[in-house]
Amino acid sequence: MLKTKTWVAALVALAAVLAVLALALRHARAPGTVVEVVQDGVVLRTIDLARVTEAYSFTVTSADGGSNVVLVEPGRIRVSSADCPDQICVQRGWLSDQAAPVVCLPHRLALRLRGETAADAVAG
Amino acid sequence: MTARRLLPLVLALCLLLAGCGARENSAAFYAMSTYMTIRAWDADDALLRRAEETVAELEQRLSVTREDSELAVLNRTGTVRLSADGAALLRRALALCAATDGALDLSVYPVVRAWGFTTQDYRVPDAAELDALLARVDYTRVTLEDDGTVTVPAGMELDLGAVAKGWAGDRLAQLLRDGGVTSAILSLGGNVQTVGARPDGDAWNVAVRDPSGEGMLGVVRAADEAVVTSGGYERYFVDDAGVVRWHIMDPATGYPARSGLVSVTVVGAEGVVCDALSTALFVMGAERAEDYWRAHRDFECLLVTEDGALLLTPGLAARFTPADGLSYEVRVIADA
Repeated sequence: MLKTKTWVAALVALAAVLAVLALALRHARAPGTVVEVVQDGVVLRTIDLARVTEAYSFTVTSADGGSNVVLVEPGRIRVSSADCPDQICVQRGWLSDQAAPVVCLPHRLALRLRGETAADAVAG
Repeated sequence: MTARRLLPLVLALCLLLAGCGARENSAAFYAMSTYMTIRAWDADDALLRRAEETVAELEQRLSVTREDSELAVLNRTGTVRLSADGAALLRRALALCAATDGALDLSVYPVVRAWGFTTQDYRVPDAAELDALLARVDYTRVTLEDDGTVTVPAGMELDLGAVAKGWAGDRLAQLLRDGGVTSAILSLGGNVQTVGARPDGDAWNVAVRDPSGEGMLGVVRAADEAVVTSGGYERYFVDDAGVVRWHIMDPATGYPARSGLVSVTVVGAEGVVCDALSTALFVMGAERAEDYWRAHRDFECLLVTEDGALLLTPGLAARFTPADGLSYEVRVIADA
């Protein structure tokens, strides 16, 4: 009986370790330097900050006419100015954390980090 | 006691891990004038061979350029009795011609040939020649009987090239599903057909080619769907006057379609519909294409305009990721 128990325990342990490994491998995508500029759930632009060599900025206009100026520099990105009433997006400064996107709620705009995705096939 | 309780857990974990071990198999072959690849999980070699044979059979029966194909006989003699497969495809294709109000017209083939696209011996036909050819273009004059007998008026010729690859994708997807495959991705010369999702459960990532270069516009997430792109960049020539002439014909004018669009991608459940619509929406242009989508809503699309805009249906926008540094202006098509 003890023998069976030991075997089962060992198997469970092994299976658990393998399962955790499998899940970890599946989700082990580099935290990455790729940023998405998202408005109302739609990804407007994808920018790899690692490949930015010169600073530039662009303006995102919201459906109700509001605008946010996004500043991109080598390795970093932020909202540099906006005509939203609360200015929270500007005060947030540079985007730094995957879990904490820079958000402009009034204009439904977000800057967020994501992992890399490789395509499975190409249409066209 | 503890051991007995744990046994189901052990079995469940084993099953979970076994699922991670699905085996990939692949095939690559040339058919329908393109390079085709199949990546399928848990498909044996025999099943993939059947897939290749299925495409070869379809091509043998329906290719307009094979002298002994059903379509070639029709175009030579004005009538033929199609195989069940051919009749089903023609019925479907004619319905799509009607739905798109002739933006797709299977009978435009003599015009395509006059421009040299069938032989790559390119030329610009003059207006009189095109007028004479256009008199022979009208899909509404095709009659298809229940037994598969198709008849066309004298001088009319049909080509299923705008729908055959999409149809083949549907047929292959079904063949793989019937063979027990739950995860596969097929590339049929620019047409992508997916079966289920990726083996890890995520949707497939299908990149869409940038019509203005070698790069990608971005990635569409798709599962159990076809993703088909038609673009002027696929086949074209530059005429003596320096004008780019591509292979997508406007059946109304007899000239290559200049609708303001340079690429159209259609995502939907059926490859044959996506294939037909990618051509038809290209001919329609952005405004009519948007109206068509609003009237039907049973597909998603991505339109690229000559002036650098990328228009997405709302449903596609939610699962489209633009490529790094994409220079197009992204806009979502209005819902109403």
